Amino acid sequence: MRSDHARFAEDVGAYLLDALDGRERRAFERHLRSCDECRREVERLRPAADVLPGSVEQIEPPARLKAAVMAEIEPSRPRKRRPLLRPVLVAAAVGLLIGIGVSQLGGDDPRTIAATVDEAVPRAGGSLRISDGSARLRLHDMPNLGTRRVYQVWLQHGDKMVPARTFEVGETGRGEVDLRDIADADGVYVTREARGGAQVPSEDPIVSVPL
Amino acid sequence: MAGDIRDLADEEVMQLVQRGDPRAFELLYDRHGGAAYSLAYRLVGRQATAEDVVQEALISIWRSRQRYDQTRGSVRTWILGIVRNRAIDGLRRTAVHERRREPLEGAVEQQEAPERTDVEVARREEARTVRGALEVLPAEQRRTIELAYFAGFTHSQIAELLHEPVGTVKGRMRLGLDKMRRELAEGLA
Repeated sequence: MRSDHARFAEDVGAYLLDALDGRERRAFERHLRSCDECRREVERLRPAADVLPGSVEQIEPPARLKAAVMAEIEPSRPRKRRPLLRPVLVAAAVGLLIGIGVSQLGGDDPRTIAATVDEAVPRAGGSLRISDGSARLRLHDMPNLGTRRVYQVWLQHGDKMVPARTFEVGETGRGEVDLRDIADADGVYVTREARGGAQVPSEDPIVSVPL
Repeated sequence: MAGDIRDLADEEVMQLVQRGDPRAFELLYDRHGGAAYSLAYRLVGRQATAEDVVQEALISIWRSRQRYDQTRGSVRTWILGIVRNRAIDGLRRTAVHERRREPLEGAVEQQEAPERTDVEVARREEARTVRGALEVLPAEQRRTIELAYFAGFTHSQIAELLHEPVGTVKGRMRLGLDKMRRELAEGLA
């Protein structure tokens, strides 16, 4: 009926913007089923409504969000907690890391896992590439620690943190470390230590790759 | 040799999701999680609430993954639509005068995504393009669209807020969308 159509034709914009109340929406959708003209108008204008969500300022979600979502999706996914390096630092560690999200970028072996970096070094990032039981940790945009301190890699085995290699990043901010025998490790972590390295980590890790 | 799922289009990835493949869902998160979070934050104005909204929305998407119908729109539109609905449901439960149209926390600048990946570059570019199309609208059309889409007001609530007839408000919504559509089409031409 023409008058019926005229009444609903006004609602097309409100319908696409979800600005009809429930009763009006249901009535409009009933009308749509029988009105080619309104259907065409909805489809004509829909692209404009569809892009609205993408118009907002783009910000990055915290890594814990992905970890939380994936833990629900895949309950069997190993949920290894970040190791507690020193009890005294436990409280301070809460909320310190951006998160413990792990991106499995490849298959089982070789595979590449995104590293999670402390929010104190916001531009830094990196990944761990594992192949045949050994791995290469690559980091970028890491602060140069100068002459007195170095970065140190730790391999987590259960509750133990086993010291591995130290490395520097120099002016480029890039670090690359080859690690052997990591097949049994539960995680790879990086701390900042005095030159020469340490036997026990002196701080919570600033780079974490739980495995 | 099996292909890399990262080379697949969203609609193909969604087919894997519908078969229950968590890796495929993870890939959708990697592609659209940032846009989902950005949208939720714009709508609710608080980071913790935005995280809750996105988490609940994505889990509901996983559980109702069989309902996705590609003839009714892209995967991205579907995901962001569900995120918006979840956020607006929460907003609509709050009193009208408490609803805000701008983020409550002023930390957006600090968190703006560094342009690191193609996905991030693309969505920031899209955001700029769509904001450009919104900005050319007459102020009253833009305001009406924003009150509806980002604050979750119905046309009659907007009419009341702006002291305008309902027909005027509905007309601005339709005209605004039409002008945006033309702007975007010209931008792509």
